[in-house]
Amino acid sequence: MAPFTESLVEAAGVRVHLRRGGSGDPLLILHGELGVPGWLRAYESLAQDYTVHVPSLPGFGQSSRPAYILGVRDLAAWVTWLVRDQRLACPLPVIGFSLGGWVAAEIATVNAALFSKMVLVGAAGLKPEEGEVWDYFIHSNRDAVARAFHEPARSEEYARFFGKEWTPADELQAEQNREMTARLAWKPYMRSHTLAALLGGVATPTLVLWGREDAIIPPGVCDQYARAIPGASARVLEGAGHMPEMEQPDAFVRVVLDFLRA
Amino acid sequence: MVREVYFFTEMGYTAYSQAEARRYGYNNLMFPNEQFSPERAQQLYAMYFDELQYASETGFDGVMINEHHNNPLSMMPSVNVIGASVAQRNRKGKIVFLGNVLPIHDNPLRVAEEVAMIDILSGGRVVCGFVRGLGQESMATNVNPMDNRERFDEAHNVIVAAWTKPGPFRWEGRHFDYRIVNPWMKPLQKPHPPIWIPGVVSPESVKWAAEHQYPYVALAPPLSTIDEIFDYYDAVAAEVGYATTPEHRGYVIRVSVADTDEKAYEEGRHFFWQLGTTFGVAPRHWLQPPGYVTRAARTSRREMARTGINNVTPGGPAIGYDEAHATHQIVSGTPDTVIKKLQHIIDVADPAYMIFWGREGLMAHDVAVRGIDLMTRDVIPAIKEYKADREKGRHSLAAAGR
Repeated sequence: MAPFTESLVEAAGVRVHLRRGGSGDPLLILHGELGVPGWLRAYESLAQDYTVHVPSLPGFGQSSRPAYILGVRDLAAWVTWLVRDQRLACPLPVIGFSLGGWVAAEIATVNAALFSKMVLVGAAGLKPEEGEVWDYFIHSNRDAVARAFHEPARSEEYARFFGKEWTPADELQAEQNREMTARLAWKPYMRSHTLAALLGGVATPTLVLWGREDAIIPPGVCDQYARAIPGASARVLEGAGHMPEMEQPDAFVRVVLDFLRA
Repeated sequence: MVREVYFFTEMGYTAYSQAEARRYGYNNLMFPNEQFSPERAQQLYAMYFDELQYASETGFDGVMINEHHNNPLSMMPSVNVIGASVAQRNRKGKIVFLGNVLPIHDNPLRVAEEVAMIDILSGGRVVCGFVRGLGQESMATNVNPMDNRERFDEAHNVIVAAWTKPGPFRWEGRHFDYRIVNPWMKPLQKPHPPIWIPGVVSPESVKWAAEHQYPYVALAPPLSTIDEIFDYYDAVAAEVGYATTPEHRGYVIRVSVADTDEKAYEEGRHFFWQLGTTFGVAPRHWLQPPGYVTRAARTSRREMARTGINNVTPGGPAIGYDEAHATHQIVSGTPDTVIKKLQHIIDVADPAYMIFWGREGLMAHDVAVRGIDLMTRDVIPAIKEYKADREKGRHSLAAAGR
């Protein structure tokens, strides 16, 4: 694997746990509620074309947490400051996963200048018309990562990051990420009452991407997002659950690059 | 010296199927409520209320009540409704609320009003406890557990202000906002009913109670952890600038008294009626939702002791009935036997307030009543005369190697 760097940088009033690799134009990754397990194969592939920036959002990973970040919109405001303080050339493409997808979508509802293109992957933020968002908080952290994969036993990335003995540090990190998710999304659970309406104002070209077997956020939400955002397209990846970037990294990267290059 | 002794039962809903609970691997929060029968609950209430009344009329200083949600452990999902009922039935004796689950209320003024009403209705017999609730309470009421401690603290402040500060006034807090605080109901007792804080777990709660100079009531902990709890209370008190007395300490203990040691021992098994436990079985993450226990407290001796006992993932209870005797989490026997065991606990804890958790599970009504008779006739007078020897208590703990 090509080298990537992992460091703690001061930006937007936060000590940010930042992973960065590749070269070329910047690409911003906004992780989901389970945090950033490491430098994923998908990031590595994208780093062939872009300088990939993967910050741990405040309260996740080793990033500090300012007291004012109590909801997803607070987080959205902070992400725009991060882009500013990191001097990333704007507009830049963004990929938002689950909770991070919700953050990206909130930004796009109020700021058409930040993102050139937006990819929402298994994004939280909307109430499913059918089914329910899986309840992380009545399940354990280990149950959660297993649930996020369609076939964890067949996934290399699952084996690499989760399918092993968890150290006390792993347990603590998972619990910390869970706490931050609870702060942001306990009630209403993993959704906004207003986002569905606000998405009508998004002007950023958007791809909505979902794993066919997503058992965390029902795949029907893919279509809800695609309908709500003017001009958005949708793709569903086979053989993947809530984390297609980890379960089907090659197909995921192909679809994303097709969209970003188009 | 023990000054007051109260009677307590969780009022268990005992009519659910243990086999079903075993099949699910848990018996609360998500355990299907089709197991609940209102008709059976009506019968159980009648029995429990009779016992509470009997206890308060025959020699106890009153009764303790509490609150749990989504849980057959307790048929008291509203401590204030139970308290109002007890206030009407029991003509004498205090009513110790342990307590109102403050964080789950979006309108704590309602709690202030209800407790004030009951204090008036009962002629000033209310002792008002406040609790954070089990983790399951946060889940059952869907109040963010990350805010649990902040909401507890602020709700307490709102309630005490509503009781003591002339209204109308404005309250603009982090979790509660009122343009007008001016409840018409204020408590009979001045400045307000005594506030007690029960708990088993977190150093933070002990500290909070000590800072406010509220009695801390230990809920049937392993006796070997009690010195840690009350020593910490004493240390915080010293920092605040006061010396503690037995009036800062309360103690809840499971008690099974009968005419023979053997009978009392057998009846005591009823305290472990839920899949072999008292509090039932639930996955750890239900008892510890995000932020409910600080990451530091998670590994404390008290927390390990508690979760080892109350909270087990499917696979069975972590403590057996005999072990509970060994840790003094239950005492059983004839009055003479029980008096000796309680004197040992009093030597260690030296509480002014003791609460006898005196009936549980499927214990028969007549057995419970006989137990109450023996407690009021023999046990209570004896322990109220007993003078604690804390030095001796500490030595015995040390000798037991804790």
